[in-house]
Amino acid sequence: MKKRIVSVLLAGAMALSLAACGETAPAATTEAPAAEAPAAEAPAAEEKKEEPAPAVEEKKEEAPAEEAAADAGEALTLNMWCIATESDSNRHSYEAAIADMAANHPEITLNWEAFENQSYKTKIKAAVAADEMPDIFFTWSCAFLGDFVDAGKVYCLDDAYKAYASELPEVMMGNSTYGGKHYGVPLTMNIVGLFANMELLKQVGYDEIPGSYDEFIKCCDALKAANIIPFGCAGKETWCVTEYLESVIEKSVGADALNDIFLGRATWNNADVGAAVDEFQKLVNNGYFDPSGAGLTNDEVKANFMAGKYAFYMNGTWNCADFAANADFKDKVKVSEFPVINADKAKLGQLIGGPSDTLAVAASSPNAEKAADYTFELGKLICHYGYLDGCGLPAWTPYGDTSGINPLTQAVSEICAKADSYVLFGDTAMSADDATTYLSYVDQVYGCAVNGTQFIEGLASDIR
Amino acid sequence: MAEQVKVNKPSKQRRKRDLILGINIFLFLLPALFLFVSILIAPIVVSVYRSFQDWNGMSEGVFIGLKNYRKLFSNSVTLNFVVALKNSLMLAFFSVFVQLPMALGLALVLGRKPKGERFYLTVFFMPVLISTVVIGQLWLKIYNPDYGLLNSFLKLINLETWTHIWVSDPKTALGSIIVPTIWQYVGYHMLLMYAGVKGVSPDLREAAMLDGATAGQVDRYVVIPIIKPIIRVSVIFAVTGSLKAYDLVYILTGGGPQKLTEVPSTLLQEQLFLANKYGMGSAISVMLIILCFACSLLITAAFREKDK
Amino acid sequence: MKDNKNAKAMDFDTTYVPKKSNPVVKVVITIILIVWTIINLFPIYFMFTFSLKSNEEIFGTNVAGLPRQWLWSNYSRAMGTGNMGLYFVNSIIVTAASIMISLIAAMMATYAITRIKWRASKLTNAFFMLGLTIPIQASIVPVYVVLSRLHWLNRYSTLIIPYSAFALSMAILICTGFMVEIPYDLDEAARIDGCGLWRTFYQIIIPLMKPAYATIGIYSFLQCWNEFMFANVFISDSAHRTLPVGIQQLSGSYTTDWGPIGAALVIATFPTLIVYVVLCKRIQESFIAGAVKG
Repeated sequence: MKKRIVSVLLAGAMALSLAACGETAPAATTEAPAAEAPAAEAPAAEEKKEEPAPAVEEKKEEAPAEEAAADAGEALTLNMWCIATESDSNRHSYEAAIADMAANHPEITLNWEAFENQSYKTKIKAAVAADEMPDIFFTWSCAFLGDFVDAGKVYCLDDAYKAYASELPEVMMGNSTYGGKHYGVPLTMNIVGLFANMELLKQVGYDEIPGSYDEFIKCCDALKAANIIPFGCAGKETWCVTEYLESVIEKSVGADALNDIFLGRATWNNADVGAAVDEFQKLVNNGYFDPSGAGLTNDEVKANFMAGKYAFYMNGTWNCADFAANADFKDKVKVSEFPVINADKAKLGQLIGGPSDTLAVAASSPNAEKAADYTFELGKLICHYGYLDGCGLPAWTPYGDTSGINPLTQAVSEICAKADSYVLFGDTAMSADDATTYLSYVDQVYGCAVNGTQFIEGLASDIR
Repeated sequence: MAEQVKVNKPSKQRRKRDLILGINIFLFLLPALFLFVSILIAPIVVSVYRSFQDWNGMSEGVFIGLKNYRKLFSNSVTLNFVVALKNSLMLAFFSVFVQLPMALGLALVLGRKPKGERFYLTVFFMPVLISTVVIGQLWLKIYNPDYGLLNSFLKLINLETWTHIWVSDPKTALGSIIVPTIWQYVGYHMLLMYAGVKGVSPDLREAAMLDGATAGQVDRYVVIPIIKPIIRVSVIFAVTGSLKAYDLVYILTGGGPQKLTEVPSTLLQEQLFLANKYGMGSAISVMLIILCFACSLLITAAFREKDK
Repeated sequence: MKDNKNAKAMDFDTTYVPKKSNPVVKVVITIILIVWTIINLFPIYFMFTFSLKSNEEIFGTNVAGLPRQWLWSNYSRAMGTGNMGLYFVNSIIVTAASIMISLIAAMMATYAITRIKWRASKLTNAFFMLGLTIPIQASIVPVYVVLSRLHWLNRYSTLIIPYSAFALSMAILICTGFMVEIPYDLDEAARIDGCGLWRTFYQIIIPLMKPAYATIGIYSFLQCWNEFMFANVFISDSAHRTLPVGIQQLSGSYTTDWGPIGAALVIATFPTLIVYVVLCKRIQESFIAGAVKG
């Protein structure tokens, strides 16, 4: 019964928009319901099931639509691929945003599919190679999207961006700008955070996360002596190792030096980097890392951390949502910045991260222009709900009531507010080819198969 | 041999009939040829062509000659084809010298008609029917370092020192792939060989027994020589299957730790879809085809040699 | 005639039983058989029991025993989030269609190769046998590019066509084994009666090849049912996803709650196993027939 009402309503709304509305200006819906995040979940699910129904209606209406006017009111179906699977912490923000979009744009039907992260990379690349992309697709910024842009497969968003420039700062578009043109709509931005289980730290006499590196090491030794494993890290997914390694490198050599290396402006062959890698390996060899972690996936390690198996967990701040949502765990966890190792070159406020999650529009889309407007609007909503949920910091200027945001995300906000510079995740900053090379070397470092010198020399010769 | 249509002196009528016959033959072959050429042969030709290119799958490829192949055999950290090859040969080795003897032993034993023959046959074939993905997931649960069955069992019997992080300890990772692979397909080869064993005529056995041969000797000198062709097929399947191995490696170790358990197919997938190197990926697939092919020929030749 | 011979090889009672078998050897053999049975059944038992347990039991208090509390709710959770039912049906559709297509194509090709005399028939056969050694991975990219240019992704046929092609070589191999045993006199007689090639094929060969169908079906089934790589890359919408990909995705979403994963594994596995156990005699015989003929 309920379903039928919804579909009748939808059909009615669609007919209305077809008959009457001459102009659905893209910016007309800026006042999206702000504080409805939890309530929006049910309609979102409903909406998704309803998809086939409006699609049928839409065919029926096609003829009058053409007569009426060939403008914004025309019924349209867009396809989108993303990685917000049911287990993903971003799932809810996608559902809520899409539900809002369906209400605001009844003439547009969005068919969306979510895929598991690793297999999505395969799928989207194969689809790009074969010109089989959906209208809108999720992508990582910088090099990942850059490969597609170079191949001319991505629709340029410059025209659509004008209408949103006031809400979406130019600086946030930086990672998806190529040759001065904008190609992506950023969603949230994230940094690497040092999460700590304060309950475990208290057992060895620490009430705060140690602020200096020496203290930090002492703390790890104390934890080890108390039979508590300091770090959890998923060896099966190399990007998890980079969350630790890149922080160690950055806090040893400084953000600028690392940025230059990642972006290809400086050689890998940098003795300071080598020394930092050796420092990281010292942490490994001291037994600070959980040895079982080498055989686990990130989800498993994260669950172990939440179950109190590790004292520290270095990972993206998108985890704040899941940590804050866990009633048992949310009071035990704190987040902070990795301490400075070499104060001559690095300082606090130099962070790893930046806006990476991005939506882009396929150049091959027959409705690219409308898809572009739609993507901006959708991106803004996903960002909004994602921020409310604690999935990361907003790339868009936040609006509405944000006081309910969990304390962890607020703490991250504070860290970012004091930030001095950002270095984007290495595997995102580099081209696919270089990133695989880089990740192989990181893997070798974690397994102590190469040392710092071999790491820098190998990368210097294998990349470019 | 089929004799119904003979081709004799070419007369006009003959030629016309030949033509019609030719068209008919072609029509009979058409569905199979279509599938075969479009899905197997044409892609291979394309792969060979692409393997000489540096191609990222999106823009135009650049012709680079044998560079991809040369890189395959230069020991690099990123792309260690030699290690991958060694791993699949290890897998092949264990398949041929552990899995197949086990299968043969079981087939021979079941051929002696023990009690419950049908039951054993049914049970031993079961793993073959289970999806490899299921097997992989199941074994991950067995290998799990913290809660897995294997480590829990070792702790239970006070062999705590024997516990390992099975899938990511460089010492045990390859082994932890080999064990489920062997386990899953013993039943497959057993049933193939069992078919052969059952095909041996009872008279032959009886004759050998009357000559004073023990059951073991009968198996050794009568049964095995007769089922040799089936053993050959099993060896070919086991070796090419090992070279093609993918699913279990992908699920259990993903090629890790430190790329020590990569096999050609996981490298292929990585080059294609993670590094965007379609040219290199094509070179790996060409190598795979050549290897599978060469192994089949070698095995066939080896068996022929033995027969002489 | 040939059916008889076939049946004889299969008949379990005609095998010669050694009379003076050593009792020690017998005991050893029985022990080996029982041990191997346990090794084969235990993982299945383990999967079934952990699908009904809570994490607490799986992670320590009761690793391998029977569940203390039978948590059937794990199943509803796996069914609810995982869409396992749909994936199962998809797998059946794809596998069944692939078997049908490869069977028909193989029958026709084998007929042309074995029962019509022409110069290149042997060569053609050898050509098809190439497929036995070609790894399926080798063609994934070119096939993907072609299928996508034809806008042929995300349908059942996206998987059915490659699967049929890869099952073809084995099917032709088995078909040949069966078909050469049909007496050639039959073709001759049909020709004298005025039957053309097609009618001979349709009226004589197809009915006489019935025993081969099950055999080819089983070999093709084993190839298609478990396929993961093509299914993972070629299908992007959940409506056409097959079981292996579905399980892999589900395992990603329940990394820590083992019960529902176990339930999904059971759902994916047990129907096949049950069908197998019910039909095991016929399935084994068909499989064996393939081995003997091929």
